Amino acid sequence: MRDIIKMIIVLTIIGAVSGLALSLVYEGTKAPIEYQTIKFVKEPAVKKVLTGYDNDPIADRQKMIIGEDERGKPIELIIFPAKKAGATFAVALEGKGKGFGGLIGVMVGVSKEGTLLDIGITSHSETPGIGARVSETSFTDRFKGLATNKEIKVDGISGATYSSKGVMAAITQALGYVTTFSKEIF
Amino acid sequence: MSIKDEFTKGLWQTIPPFRLVLGLCPTLATTTSGLNGMGMGLATTFVLVFSNLFVSLLRRFIPSQVRIASFIVIIASFVVIVELVMQAYFYPLFKILGIFIPLIVVNCIILGRAEAFASKQGPVASLADGLGIGLGFTISLFVLGCLRELLGSGTLLDIPVMWSGFEPFAFMLKPPGAFVALGILLAAMNLISQVQARKGGGR
Repeated sequence: MRDIIKMIIVLTIIGAVSGLALSLVYEGTKAPIEYQTIKFVKEPAVKKVLTGYDNDPIADRQKMIIGEDERGKPIELIIFPAKKAGATFAVALEGKGKGFGGLIGVMVGVSKEGTLLDIGITSHSETPGIGARVSETSFTDRFKGLATNKEIKVDGISGATYSSKGVMAAITQALGYVTTFSKEIF
Repeated sequence: MSIKDEFTKGLWQTIPPFRLVLGLCPTLATTTSGLNGMGMGLATTFVLVFSNLFVSLLRRFIPSQVRIASFIVIIASFVVIVELVMQAYFYPLFKILGIFIPLIVVNCIILGRAEAFASKQGPVASLADGLGIGLGFTISLFVLGCLRELLGSGTLLDIPVMWSGFEPFAFMLKPPGAFVALGILLAAMNLISQVQARKGGGR
């Protein structure tokens, strides 16, 4: 009996101390991990869609609450502003749209005047060689210079209608956020 | 054995993975370049050193019936620390090593040293043992990674070193190539040992 109690106590203490140590490390590395993830996953797309800024859009990112998920946790939207001499002249943000193989993430650059600057695909699981062609510049360039107050529509890639529509839906979603938060952003 | 012997034995006599032939899974999977191998080796060394130290410090308090469970909790905690720190400060390396970082938990070298050495020896000897074996593992992975990188992509530490007409053996970067490279290194080590034994009349 004494053995059993000793085992339980020792294992409990080891587990509790480990848990405490890990939670401290987690708290300490949370901010750098978030920065690194954004830097390596989003930065290439942000750099593609924004040009001519003199700030660090990653460091200056803003967070907006756009709703709640099914567990009641807030869903965050990250906005990357492009500034020149301290004034925001364009922003990049990500929208998601349903493609053929799941959600397509699209980084959208929008100028203050309401022009679509450029888009970049951040994540997708479309069919390689067919739907995946939406991430090629020959397709993404078709969105350059469109006015954001009209419906976003370009010629899709033949054979990849769902994927093309998913990209357009993602852009429409991102532009919707811009309209909603235009006061806070610019 | 002195502390110095505990340290140096991991560098040649019992160098993993060549002599102990333990921990082959990360050895074969992550050594596609010298730097990747070194990153994996250093991560393992960190876990090995600290798990050895703590197992040795706690060896009198841990009842022998639950020792393996306790060791695994200790090891797993350090693995998660390595994972978080790597993700926070060495993100590209973290992306490459991927699943093999969490898998350090089940690396038999680490549990093997905890069970066979640290649970029976003092903290200083255990620290020396962990450092030696870990460094040996890092060197092995680094050398293996360099060999595969040299033959498989014609570079050494990402710098092209082969002549211009060199056609890389892409095969060396695939898992079978890892076995071939490991075999070549093992053969070379055995040759050196044999020559040494003949010269010195056996060790």
